[in-house]
Amino acid sequence: MDWRKSAQVVLLLLPGLGLILAMIGSVLYIAVAQSFGYYNLTGESGFSVEFWESMLDRKIYNRSWRYSLYIGFFSAIISVALAYPLAIWLRRPFAGSDVIGALLKAPLLVHGLVAAFLFINVVSYNGIFNQFMQGIGLWDGPRRLQNDQNGFGVLILQVWKQMPFALLIMIGSVQAISDDVLDAARDLGAGAFTRFRRIIAPLSLSAMQAALVIIFMGAVADFSFQVIAGPTNRQSLAQLMVFFKENGQWNDAAVVGVTLMVLALLCAGLLALTARIIVYGRIR
Amino acid sequence: MSQAKLNKILLYSLVAVCALWLIIPFTMAILWSLVDPTKPWTADKLLPPVMSFYRWQYLWENSSLQQAMINSYTLAPTAAVLALVLATPTAFAFGRLSFPGKSVAQTLALLPLIVPGFVTAVFFTAFLFRLGFAHWRFGGIVLAHCVLFMPFAVRIMTVSFETVRQDHIDAARDLGASTCQRWKVAYLPALKPGVFASLLIVFIYSIEEFAVAFILGSPDFVTIPTLLFSQMGQDFVRPNAAVLSLILVVPNVFLMLGLEKLMRSANPALASGKG
Repeated sequence: MDWRKSAQVVLLLLPGLGLILAMIGSVLYIAVAQSFGYYNLTGESGFSVEFWESMLDRKIYNRSWRYSLYIGFFSAIISVALAYPLAIWLRRPFAGSDVIGALLKAPLLVHGLVAAFLFINVVSYNGIFNQFMQGIGLWDGPRRLQNDQNGFGVLILQVWKQMPFALLIMIGSVQAISDDVLDAARDLGAGAFTRFRRIIAPLSLSAMQAALVIIFMGAVADFSFQVIAGPTNRQSLAQLMVFFKENGQWNDAAVVGVTLMVLALLCAGLLALTARIIVYGRIR
Repeated sequence: MSQAKLNKILLYSLVAVCALWLIIPFTMAILWSLVDPTKPWTADKLLPPVMSFYRWQYLWENSSLQQAMINSYTLAPTAAVLALVLATPTAFAFGRLSFPGKSVAQTLALLPLIVPGFVTAVFFTAFLFRLGFAHWRFGGIVLAHCVLFMPFAVRIMTVSFETVRQDHIDAARDLGASTCQRWKVAYLPALKPGVFASLLIVFIYSIEEFAVAFILGSPDFVTIPTLLFSQMGQDFVRPNAAVLSLILVVPNVFLMLGLEKLMRSANPALASGKG
C-alpha cells in the first residue's frame, strides 16, 4: 500500500474510529488515572495507591462487587437456559410460531426504566400480585415483595429484558443445524437430552457464548433496575460508583469503575470459557 | 402425543404466559395513568373509580415534561445525523477498501459497546470537567450519544457499502458519469435503507439513553428517561410515572417496528439490529 492510499485510509477512519478511540481512550485513561490519585478534581494530584488500599478494606465495596457478579452471573445463565428450549422449539416454523416470536421479542422494545416501573406496579404492596395471592387464599395479607433482599426482583427484570435478546442471538445458529444430523442421531438411538448435549449445544456454542457474554456484561453493570427494584441494603458496582461521584469522591468512584470494567471483562471471558469446557469437556 | 398437538399446547401456554407477562403490566400502567386524583384507586377496587386524563394534562402543564420532550427530541436527531456523518467515511473504508489491520480496526470500532455505560458516563463527565466544559450539557450529551451509538451506524453503513455493486459503479464511469453522479446513481440507491436504518437506530438509542443524560445532565438538563427516573425515586407518584412510561415506550415501539422493516430491506442479516 503506497503512502497516498495509507493517508486516504487514515483520513477516512479519523472521524469515526478516531473519535471513538479518542473518547473511549480518554474515558478509560481518566478512570485508571483517577483511581491512582491523578486528575484529582478537589485536592492534590499524584500517584497513590491509597484509594485502592482503603477501598479493598471497605465492606460496602466487597459486598457490592459480589452482588454485581451474582446478578450478572444468574441473569446470563437463566436467560440462556430459558432461551435454549424456546430456540429449539421455534427451530422450524409452524402455525403460530410468528406470533410466539413477536411476543417473545416484545420486551426488547420496552425501555429498562419502563420495565422496572411495570414490575414494581405488579409486585407492590397493594399491587395486583398481592391481591391475586390473597384472592386465591394462599396469603392472609399483603407481603412486601418490592426491593427484596435477595435481588430476585432485579433478576426477574434482567431475565424479562435479556431473555428475548439471548433467543434472538441463538435462534439463528439453532436453525442452521441440519435436520439430517439430528435425524441421524435419533436413528442411532440418541434421546432428546443426548441430541442437545452432543449436537445442538456444540453447534450453537458460539451463539451461546455471545449471549452469555453480552447479557453478563450488561447485567453486571446494572444501575436502574438495582436502584428501583433492588435490595436497599446492597449496592451494585454502578450504583456505588455513582454514589461516590455524587459525593465528589471521584477517586473512589474511579476505583469502583475500574473494578467494574475489569470484573466485567474478566468474568465474561471466564463464563464463555466455562461454557466451552462444559460443552466440549475440555479447552480447545 | 403428536408434534402438532404438542406445539398447540405449548403455543397456548406460551401465549397465556406472555399475555400475563405483557398485557397485565401494560394494562395496569394505562389504568394508573388514568386515575383521577379526586378518587384514589385503592386495593379493594378492581378498576379506578374515576378515570380521566387529568394526570396527562397536569404533567404536561406543570412538570418538566415539555422541556424533557424538547430536549430528548432535539438531542436524538442531532446525535443521529452527527453519528451518520462521522460514521460514513469509516464505513466506506471498512466496506470498500482493503488495508492491513482492517479486522482489528473493525473490532476497535465496537469499543463503546464493551465499556459499561455508567463508566463512560461518569468518566466522560470527569473528562469534560478537566477540559472546563462541565456546563456544556447539550453538546456533551450529543457528543457522548454520537460516540456511544456510532458502532451501530458504522456496522450498518459498512454492510450497505459492501452491497454497492462494482459493475454499477464501473458502468456509470464508462458512461462518463462524474464522481458526484456515480455516487448518485450507483451508491445512493444501495445506501438509502442503511442511511435510514442508521439514523433511526441512533435516534431510538439516544431517546432511550439514561446513563449519560443522568450523570452529565442532572439536575438541570432533563430528558424523558431522566424525568421518569426522578418520578420513580423519592417523589414516586404512581400515576405520573405511568404517564411518563407510556410517553417513553409507545413512540419507541412504533419506531422500532419501522427500524425492523428498514433493517430487513437493508440486509436480512441485520434484522433486529443484531447482525
